[in-house]
Amino acid sequence: MTGLAVDDAAWASAWRRRAPGDKMLLCGGLVVTALVLPAWPGSALVGAVVVALALGPARVPARTFLRAARWPAAFIAVGAVTAVVEVGGGGGPGWAPDAAARAGSLVGHALAGSAAVLLLATTTPMSDLLPALRRARVPDAVVEVASVVYRLLFVLLGSLHTIREAQTARMGYSSVARSYRSSGALAAAVLTRSWDRARRMQEGLAGRGMETGLRVLPEVLPSSWAFLAGSVAGPAAIVVASSVAT
Amino acid sequence: MHIAEGFLPAGHAAGWTIAAAPFVVHGARAVVREVRENPGSTLLLGAAGAFTFVLSAVKLPSVTGSSSHPTGTGPGAILFRPPVMALLGTVVLLFQALLLAHGGLTTLGANAFAFAVVGPWTGYAAYRLTRAAGAGLMPAVFAGVALADLATYVTTSFQLALAFPDAESGLVGGLLKFLGVFAVTQIPLAIGEGLLGVLLFRVLTVNARPELERLGVLKPAEPVTPGGAA
Repeated sequence: MTGLAVDDAAWASAWRRRAPGDKMLLCGGLVVTALVLPAWPGSALVGAVVVALALGPARVPARTFLRAARWPAAFIAVGAVTAVVEVGGGGGPGWAPDAAARAGSLVGHALAGSAAVLLLATTTPMSDLLPALRRARVPDAVVEVASVVYRLLFVLLGSLHTIREAQTARMGYSSVARSYRSSGALAAAVLTRSWDRARRMQEGLAGRGMETGLRVLPEVLPSSWAFLAGSVAGPAAIVVASSVAT
Repeated sequence: MHIAEGFLPAGHAAGWTIAAAPFVVHGARAVVREVRENPGSTLLLGAAGAFTFVLSAVKLPSVTGSSSHPTGTGPGAILFRPPVMALLGTVVLLFQALLLAHGGLTTLGANAFAFAVVGPWTGYAAYRLTRAAGAGLMPAVFAGVALADLATYVTTSFQLALAFPDAESGLVGGLLKFLGVFAVTQIPLAIGEGLLGVLLFRVLTVNARPELERLGVLKPAEPVTPGGAA
């Protein structure tokens, strides 16, 4: 358990051993399909396919998938309602003439796109995705910094939870003023720990002769022709079905 | 407050990606140069990125009785400078999209422009101007951190208004709508994050003074006063 439910789901997913490039092709295709097709039936079909794949063959826990979708759903709901409210008329705020259709379209595009990104996130650990950045010609130094961010953030999240637990036990969050004081001390403690840990790692690696980068052997996961074919055929079928229906 | 995947039309998502790209590339070059000159800085930069991500997990009490989460880019801009934060902020946004489902991939450019470019540059400018006006470290930190947060929120509202202008009053009406709706959470959050920044730096000046001197936030002999000129 890493402390991040989406990352835990990615490591436990039945698609964990599939090649990251295969999953990126599938999810990227679904994201683009959700964005460019009309919300009905295009985005709705994308959403249905994503949920079926996540809860079916990828075996992502439904609870994890739904809990992760709460935050984007909240933003999408507030944003869509705001977008279709009209404030310029003389009679105060009111609904735009095509409010329901526009809100439905916005919600459809965004929910389906978010679900497709979530499918990638819950089936592919970040450590599998970062080597793809290197292949996309992102400089090695940048990929290495991103790799260190990924490795350190779990350590720091662990520190954050431990310190917060200790502060809570000492009534550190019993009032608003104490909460702010505790939060400031918490942030400072996490920052100084991150510096300390980075310095100790640097000294340890320097002692082992590290002069260039933090080179590690990437795990090679075989690509599947059947999966790749499905990744192309699935979004293509949605495009055809959407064209026929509209 | 990150724009969710699929919320922006494709043209807007592409346009904001192009707008953010020069700043992120500039930040990447700064990081590559720093790492080439000093390979050990990879770990310190990684620690800075991880701290920015983790800071967004700190809960701040909100006026509504619930809690909010800081953006973390204001303290980062003061400590590590805006060009580095353009890259680190974008990396953090990518991680938030793929580890927390906050934001998205097609909206990464728009979110990076608000969160990793406009926020840090505005916050850093406010910090430098407040310091230049003779104020002490803590008022400057408050101004820098709070304005970084506010600038991020205003930019995101502008991006949404540009994509979804008001049917009657156009861009201005759209901007007022989005600013008004998100002000309920974002203005208290900006003030709260400013206060958190002050408390953070107050602890750092005591416990991590050598690091602050190395980063150029404090001069070697500079005393820290709570409100007045240093």
